[in-house]
Amino acid sequence: MFFNIIVPLYMTISLNNIVPVPLKEKFLQRGSDVWNTEITFLKGEWVKIKAPSGTGKTTLVHTLYKLRNDYDGNVRWNDKTLRTIGDDELALLRQQNVSVIFQDLRLFPNLSARENIELKRVLQSPFYESNRIDEMAARLQVTHVLNQRAGLCSYGEQQRIAIIRALMQPFDWLLMDEPFSHLDINNTEKAASLIAEECQKRNAGFILTDLDEDTHFEYTRYLNL
Amino acid sequence: MLNNLLKKLIKASTGRSRFILAIVGLSVALLLILAAVQIQVNYNDLLNSKTNQDSVANFLVINKAVTSSNVGATTLSNADIDDLKKQPFVDAIGVLTPSRFKVSAQGASDRIPFYTDLFFESVPDEFLDVNNKNWKWGDQSTFIPLIIPNMFLDMYNFGFATSQNLPQLSQELVMSLPIQVNIKTPLGNVNYYGKVVGFSDRISSVLVPQSFMDWANNKYGNDADKARPSRVVIRTKDAGNPRLTNYLHEHGLTTDTDKTRFSKYRQIVTGVVNVSWVTGAVMLLFALLIFTLFIQLTIATCQEEIALLVTLGTAPKQLQRFLMKQFFPPNIVIVLVVLAIISLLQFLLKRILDAQHFYVNGIISLYTIIAGIIILIVLWLVNYYTIRKYIYLQR
Repeated sequence: MFFNIIVPLYMTISLNNIVPVPLKEKFLQRGSDVWNTEITFLKGEWVKIKAPSGTGKTTLVHTLYKLRNDYDGNVRWNDKTLRTIGDDELALLRQQNVSVIFQDLRLFPNLSARENIELKRVLQSPFYESNRIDEMAARLQVTHVLNQRAGLCSYGEQQRIAIIRALMQPFDWLLMDEPFSHLDINNTEKAASLIAEECQKRNAGFILTDLDEDTHFEYTRYLNL
Repeated sequence: MLNNLLKKLIKASTGRSRFILAIVGLSVALLLILAAVQIQVNYNDLLNSKTNQDSVANFLVINKAVTSSNVGATTLSNADIDDLKKQPFVDAIGVLTPSRFKVSAQGASDRIPFYTDLFFESVPDEFLDVNNKNWKWGDQSTFIPLIIPNMFLDMYNFGFATSQNLPQLSQELVMSLPIQVNIKTPLGNVNYYGKVVGFSDRISSVLVPQSFMDWANNKYGNDADKARPSRVVIRTKDAGNPRLTNYLHEHGLTTDTDKTRFSKYRQIVTGVVNVSWVTGAVMLLFALLIFTLFIQLTIATCQEEIALLVTLGTAPKQLQRFLMKQFFPPNIVIVLVVLAIISLLQFLLKRILDAQHFYVNGIISLYTIIAGIIILIVLWLVNYYTIRKYIYLQR
């Protein structure tokens, strides 16, 4: 029998009673699995957060990704309080530990689809060779738009480009905000299986927010916002 | 690769004309400043280098200006001499010791008869422009070596001799003539032989070796007080130094104005250099301002792109490095081009001055290059801190 001393290098995300300031009154009256509670996500957990419209889905993702600071309570990445993380350290975390798929996609409209993905690939020392872009694009059936300006792609195409972009980097956590909102069932399944594979490859966890229940992934935790 | 993508996102095209304006302004400013440095170096070269030393006098005989109010009182006090010694433009000072006895000279042979009352002065050897092995005197010497001003011989040859129908004399002939030197003492004349051993352009006096002067003053001198020095010779790096001219003027002293005339040129050159400096510095300031504004404008125009880049995980440091690569290299090119232009001008200047027997270095001076590097460092700092400031301001 072997006793391995495992140094916990993996990232945990913990929330300490966070409540967004603008929606404070509303959220405090209503019960929630996430707002104003103590909750810790361990690495490798696949978390689904179900949230009807207007319950703060996007607010939560933006808060976890440190795009906004207007909340009470604390978010910790490992043991670092998100609020006090410096610019360059934050950039490093976003390059190495946390990836994101935004609901509003956030592609550079003037770059081609391929350039949008490539940018994320070379932002840090590359996790994948560039031919991996073509492989993923082929799987999600967007090869034909790779050299097109992202601004000219349909929302469905843009969403798949945004998914591929998020999978180009190393990460411990993948944050997803309604990642399949513009995709049909067929494409959603393909995208979900790609995401699942990539998470398994990295031994990574994800937090996915969506309006409805779904069976795209084998979730390990299920929460209501 | 990342840089290529960033280049597509952060375009500096919005203020292209302003950028070109800033570059032109910076070039002119640098040209003025570095040219000022180079001119100053050239001028110092002309003043101090060995090859030019003969063209610029650096030994000056100084005495009080004789005016109606100080006739008979033109001796220099010890305080006067000490004060002069303390001035930064005086490298060395030598007192011209006057003789304290009456002396006359006459032709020792009948071939060229002449007689003249005379005076002697002596000066430390280091201030002489005559090198002659006979320029020494001791107890055993058979003759007294004399140095007379070149001007005397010229006056004789071209003024006196021609008008009096007398033969002209060459330097060699004069130096071969034996001269009888009579020193008058209360007990009658004492005779010596003298010989001209050289001609001086520097000191307009009849000079004898210091050792003879000391000995003779001691032996035949009458009144110690009367023999205070009236003239001193100074060695200076730059006879054209305006401070020297001013000092002499303020203390009622005078010297060979031909030699200090250079100070006027010097003041003009200094004026030109200063104007160039100031104009260049002001232009540099404006060019820096435009550069700063241009950087600010570029960053502000690309605000959205920069925000999304940071959202995606671009480190502000990465952006800063990228922007430095965009903005700084033109500065290096400008400095190099300006240095090349000044090198060319310097080369042309050397050719022009060579024809007039002024010698300057044909290669651009190290000081100019150092000044260029210093300005480049300043540019780097301004670029760096502007970019830093506005990148973090975006956050």
